[in-house]
Amino acid sequence: MSQLAVTSEQGLESRPRTAAAPLVDIKDLRVDFSGADEPKQVLKGVSLSVLPGEIIGLVGESGAGKTTLARSILGVPPAPGRIRTGEVVFDGRNILALPELELRKLRGRRLSVVVPNPRAELNPTMTIGRQIGAMARIHLGVSRAEAARLALAMLRDVQIPDPERRMNAYPHELSGGMAQRVVIAMALICNPAFIISDDATSGLDVTVQAQILSLLSRLATGHRSSLLFITRDIGITAHFCDRVAVLYAGEIMELAPRESLFLKPAHPYTLTLLAAFSHSPKLRDTWSVPQTGRRQIQVGGCSYANRCPLAQPTCSERRPPFAEIGPGHFARCHFPVSPE
Amino acid sequence: MMRVLGYLAKRLVFVIPQLLGIVLVSFLLVKSIPGDPAVLMLGPTATPDAVASLRESLGLEQPLYIQFFIYVKNILHGDLGTSWQTTRPVLEDLVQRFPATLELVTLSLLLAVVVGVTLGVFAAKQPNGWVARLADLYGLSAGALPDFWFALVLIFVFYTLLGWAPAPLGRIDMIVIPPEPITGAYTIDALLAGDLDAFGSALAHLVLPVLALGLLNAGPILKMTQATVEKMLDSDFSRYEVLCGVPHNLVVRHALRNALPSIVTIISVLYGYLIGGAVLVEIVFSWGGAGQYAVQGVLNSDIYPVLGFVLFSAIFSLMVYIVVDLIYVLLDPRISN
Repeated sequence: MSQLAVTSEQGLESRPRTAAAPLVDIKDLRVDFSGADEPKQVLKGVSLSVLPGEIIGLVGESGAGKTTLARSILGVPPAPGRIRTGEVVFDGRNILALPELELRKLRGRRLSVVVPNPRAELNPTMTIGRQIGAMARIHLGVSRAEAARLALAMLRDVQIPDPERRMNAYPHELSGGMAQRVVIAMALICNPAFIISDDATSGLDVTVQAQILSLLSRLATGHRSSLLFITRDIGITAHFCDRVAVLYAGEIMELAPRESLFLKPAHPYTLTLLAAFSHSPKLRDTWSVPQTGRRQIQVGGCSYANRCPLAQPTCSERRPPFAEIGPGHFARCHFPVSPE
Repeated sequence: MMRVLGYLAKRLVFVIPQLLGIVLVSFLLVKSIPGDPAVLMLGPTATPDAVASLRESLGLEQPLYIQFFIYVKNILHGDLGTSWQTTRPVLEDLVQRFPATLELVTLSLLLAVVVGVTLGVFAAKQPNGWVARLADLYGLSAGALPDFWFALVLIFVFYTLLGWAPAPLGRIDMIVIPPEPITGAYTIDALLAGDLDAFGSALAHLVLPVLALGLLNAGPILKMTQATVEKMLDSDFSRYEVLCGVPHNLVVRHALRNALPSIVTIISVLYGYLIGGAVLVEIVFSWGGAGQYAVQGVLNSDIYPVLGFVLFSAIFSLMVYIVVDLIYVLLDPRISN
């Protein structure tokens, strides 16, 4: 794993990670999906603090609740989701308790999101120049001409080739990578304090993915924005995230500074994730989930107990605490894997 | 621009075979209606000899395909045959009556669009609000009420009881001289002639039939608008706009913008349908429109008015569809290729 960390452009030291007050403080966020009979808990009390200027990675498999988290932070959980409890404190206010109008003015302005599969997310009957400009017109109240000027500048920033011509292009005329750049331009044009990237590169091929990632992290750093980088690929987070959180079944299982997480992973789930992306067959064999003999999930136990290769009887009886096992390194496990 | 012109030319080439097909089918259908026009024309006291000679002179003894061939040849010379009821050329009759129907139907459709789209958007905006419930009720009632009955109720209330509306006896007051026909639509012709009396009278006569047709036909437009706008509001791009903090009204406006192709489709279908479908309301108001003319033709084995009406409606519908296709191209940038 260490070679991943070495390829990063900036070392951990270059980022201030002092005891500054968090920019966004997510506290015990619980979201239910109301179903036919009993509501399904999709987020089971997620707490996460994001420091100013920090890039924080959030890794999880499909269905872990990544998109639900991303959208719930902005107060719009995906249907049929409903925020049950929890706070998202931003600028000293719990924005989830704000009136809809005020929350709306924060979305896209101070807190913005970069979505995956952007060709479907863009309005098909509006040119991209107008869609990017609309963000500035709505949130910054600038004139149409000024919005067009800002949009063009933003298209240059996200390195779309031939930006003057692309201003008048419709979403269906763009490639996936270009559409992704457009969405990034929309997220950044109002200079937000906090950007959520929700699996933003999942549909792109690897080379484009790398370009978009470096663009996103560079722009976020340039704008002094914090970035919550949500992805399925734990390898990506090793490149540029200051801290990494691992989400499983609606719970954060491990949270640690990047080096600590990749050099001393503590949660068995993190290890299986790392092993899945590893090139070492030995590692993959040791840390893989047996396909057969999965145990039933016990209410009140660890939600990973049924898949955990190291599960003990305790695991399915008591919910493990989110304990600090090293400096800034937290894991929700009764039997964290000790380093070495 | 060249693209649009090329497209138009291509479409117009196909209009001729389409019309020919429509005329053929309607010709065969009309010919299969039982009843001998010669007997009807001469009346019950006619001798068999007289009937036979009339049949001969009408060409009814010829094989069907020859009759069709002659009819098409006459159309090409601008002769749509003669109505034995009015004893006038069908073309003259239709030129006079078709604009009457068109004026009525167009205004009704405009009302239907305004009512249907407005209610539909507001219903979609708040799916559980009172407008949505009202829209459901409206859609149901508009679908269930017969238009001629609704027209009679309107006449009873606004003419008989309140006396606000003029008598349902045609398109203009008896004592008002109709304007010189230019377009055939009384309101437009009156305005062109600067005759405000005639304009007022024509407009007053339009109110009740337009209300009857417009309010009932708003139903399908309302339903289509509500369903498509709701679908668009539920789509990825609308949710993304919400995530971006776009105001709700603007999100709805963009959803409507993307729903327009479906709404335009239902409007165009209704337009073509109403040309003939307005006939019961025309009868109730003694409108003297084209639909009424065609129905009289069917009832009396007077085939040329029927065929002429079918031809006129077909040309009109095809024109509407061509215009609609052009509108699609303007509305949806994805169709351009």
